[in-house]
Amino acid sequence: MNANGIKLGLAFYTTLFLVFLYGPLVVLAILSFQTGPEGGPQFPIIEWSTYWYKHLFGLTPPSRIAPLPIEEGLVRSLVLAVMTMIVSTVLGVTSAQAFRTRFKGSGVVFYLIVLGMMVPGVLVGLGMALVANTLGIDRHWWGTTFVLHVVYTYPFAFLVMLAIFNRFDPSVEEAAWSLGVTPARTFRKITFPLIFPGVLSAMLFAFTLSYDEFSRTLFASGRDLTLPLAIYGTFSVEVHPNVFAFGVLTTLFSFALLGTYAVLMSLSVRRARRVLVQEDA
Amino acid sequence: MTMPHLVDDTAPAAVTLPKARAGNLWLVAPGVLWMTLFLVLPIAMMVYVSFWTQTTFKIEPTLTLQSWITFFSSDTYLGALWTTIRIWLIVLATTLLVGYPAALFVGLFVKNKTLQTVLLVLCVIPFWTSFLIRVLAWRPMLGKEGAINLILMKLGIVSQPIEVLLFSDLSVIIGMTQIYCVFMVGPIAFMLGRIDPSIIEAAQDLGAGFWRIFRTIILPLSMPGVVVGAIFVSVMVLGEFATSAALSGRKVNLLGNIIVTQVGSLKWAFAAVAGVVLTILMGAVVAVLLRVVDLRKEL
Amino acid sequence: MTAVLHLRNVVKQYGDSRALDGVSLSLPDNSYISLLGPSGSGKTTLLRVIAGFEQPEAGEIRFQGARIDALPPHQRGIGFVFQNFALFPHLSVEQNIAFGLTNRAIDPVTDGEVVRRKVKDMIALVGLTGLEDRGVSQISGGQKQRVALARTLVTEPKMVLLDEPLGALDANLRTRMRSELRSIRERCGVTFLHVTGSETEALAMGDTVLVLDRARIAQQGDADTIYNRPSSPAVARFLNCYNLLPGQVSGESFVSSVGTLGLGGLRQTAANPTYAIRYDRVSIRAKDAALADGETGIDGTFIASEYTGSAVNAFFTLADGSIFEVEQHLSHAAPSTFEPQAAYRLAWKKEDALVYA
Repeated sequence: MNANGIKLGLAFYTTLFLVFLYGPLVVLAILSFQTGPEGGPQFPIIEWSTYWYKHLFGLTPPSRIAPLPIEEGLVRSLVLAVMTMIVSTVLGVTSAQAFRTRFKGSGVVFYLIVLGMMVPGVLVGLGMALVANTLGIDRHWWGTTFVLHVVYTYPFAFLVMLAIFNRFDPSVEEAAWSLGVTPARTFRKITFPLIFPGVLSAMLFAFTLSYDEFSRTLFASGRDLTLPLAIYGTFSVEVHPNVFAFGVLTTLFSFALLGTYAVLMSLSVRRARRVLVQEDA
Repeated sequence: MTMPHLVDDTAPAAVTLPKARAGNLWLVAPGVLWMTLFLVLPIAMMVYVSFWTQTTFKIEPTLTLQSWITFFSSDTYLGALWTTIRIWLIVLATTLLVGYPAALFVGLFVKNKTLQTVLLVLCVIPFWTSFLIRVLAWRPMLGKEGAINLILMKLGIVSQPIEVLLFSDLSVIIGMTQIYCVFMVGPIAFMLGRIDPSIIEAAQDLGAGFWRIFRTIILPLSMPGVVVGAIFVSVMVLGEFATSAALSGRKVNLLGNIIVTQVGSLKWAFAAVAGVVLTILMGAVVAVLLRVVDLRKEL
Repeated sequence: MTAVLHLRNVVKQYGDSRALDGVSLSLPDNSYISLLGPSGSGKTTLLRVIAGFEQPEAGEIRFQGARIDALPPHQRGIGFVFQNFALFPHLSVEQNIAFGLTNRAIDPVTDGEVVRRKVKDMIALVGLTGLEDRGVSQISGGQKQRVALARTLVTEPKMVLLDEPLGALDANLRTRMRSELRSIRERCGVTFLHVTGSETEALAMGDTVLVLDRARIAQQGDADTIYNRPSSPAVARFLNCYNLLPGQVSGESFVSSVGTLGLGGLRQTAANPTYAIRYDRVSIRAKDAALADGETGIDGTFIASEYTGSAVNAFFTLADGSIFEVEQHLSHAAPSTFEPQAAYRLAWKKEDALVYA
């Protein structure tokens, strides 16, 4: 059997696979430059234009197509994502720190935390809505939705930090203790700077997951829409290229976020490299 | 040694050990509390409410089996349960079929670490586009005037646009396969990457052909990856409702869609029943998958 | 001499195995103590228990008269130097050394001027002048060792624990650091407890040498005592300079599987009767050479020899197949050559032998 032939075949297949992954996004990006307001979300492109981008920002004359309610939704989604990011990263770091030493019941606690990322949004969302109804609590994106977002993103932050602590050399901390430094101060001055790249990754995870999350949000938020809910609202109606334009913009925003992460990461790479060199010595 | 000594000697250990444990509890308590209040309690509430009495617009905490009876005697609900299982099984199969060859290439055939990383990153990048946008992106692809029909007609393969592409089972399956197959590729590629190449070389030296090597070495060693991938895909597909809402034109109703519509019409108890059924289904699926491969032993 | 550290019946258990099985010891103030033990003997565990990184299951630890076993590490005032140095990778050499002074809980130094002066003095003491602003990845292994030491010494602990401090250095540097460690300690007047798996290092460095065997202290004494009169066959084995022959004492002789040997030297009690003769106490003679008065000996077949610079080590097999080693110092005589596979008489003075029975 010709191993090279198989390799070539699989390489070709993988290319097709990537086309499958990216094709729809590329088509969507192309169609976002359809002319408006009469051009629909399909080929052919009648005329290239940035009409739908202007439409998003309310820069076009009013037409029968209502603008996406993104402005307030964007602010809410960003605030929610930042809140979620902070809380779930703090919870993730502290829990992972606790897991560095074995304790009774750690197995149960581990599964309890990981359950948060496994249980589908519909189920927790529904449960949360029921709890809120029963207790007479109003559902808001900054309340019931926020706590559910943390339930979802905290396990990711926890697992990232667990992996980071697995590779962390604890003798550095012990060295600090033996110099008379309290564990709390050691954590702040030594441990935290060294695990910072991991914390950054946990934050990135939490932010993007929360920013994009909608099934929990759907049930647990009140009348005020977040960005994904605004998009979800378009599902039941006719789709216009403004949604595509919006998709392109959010993707660009995500890449900007990734870029920021990459820059922050490379800033701490020098430090990470120092750690590596020391481990090699 | 005398007894008083023994007692004296153990005293410091007895003092210090609970201290270490208390430190841990203090660190992990906020997380446990959060998960108990906002994950365990809501799920328990859902189970509880499924036994409440549903009237037209509200629910009352009078325990009854009525909602359960309604659920299991309704063609709509049972149909949704069946659709959920059918779509889940099909998507599980398609993600595996579509993903495995790609994982095989990335994990086993690409020897260059940089290229391997680049390919894996390429698989992950679409995740930085909103999930809903990725679902919606299939509409201009699959529609009657969509990109696929356009290409097929240009190539002269079909003379009439294929209408069944969009707003059908097929569109839901295609959409879910594209969105979730990466969760199959990742774990499988990871397991394949851990195979010691010298095992395969040794088998080749012994004259084994590719299919034989695949069947006897590669496939068994990649099984834990398949199971992990299957767990990811199952959990996500079973809890789905957005893809079917966007791509089926209300023709495909999953349990998730049932929950959404029931909540929309304030039928909380029915929604809760559907939720509990979904929870049981999902728990059973994950339990069975974990039975197939002992993950702790393999990872 | 006053004792600075006192351990009584310290027990440390990992699952089913005991890393420390009732260790009792007492260490003198202001001295260099080396702790010798083979790998797995529990020596690192002992240091970690003393430092407070591990909790003993039972026992008592007293430091400067006060009980410390319930105290967390940062309240013990005992320094620790790690084998891998465990420098703070994100801090410079100077910041590493200043870290303990400015951040410790008890009596932190807040006056920047004082910190700078103390750090400067310490950098001079360990010979790191000029490297203050380097990152700790930009210095050599020996320099890292000095930073680790300086970082600890600048906080003026009464005692410093060193866990195989020379293990990560190359052979050349190791020899140099030995004398340097000793002189730094003398200048600071603190107690060093230096753990090592190397018998030469332990004997060369310690004013007092402790030998740890199977989770217990097997012997404590000065280097000369340990070297010349190991208290048990196990200690003699770690020293790596004794031929050990198992057997039985019978009247005025020792019956081993390779022949009957004359008794004469020091006799100590042990569970397994063993006859020990140091490598360099044996002379190699022709097969039929007569033994002088007060001598005893056995026959061995020459296999090979190994040149170590100052000495030649010759290896023989005995009747039961075991290996017998003889060390000939070249300062005494020119190296002699032996015929491979030929039989020789190996002889020594009865009084040089150590007998455990």
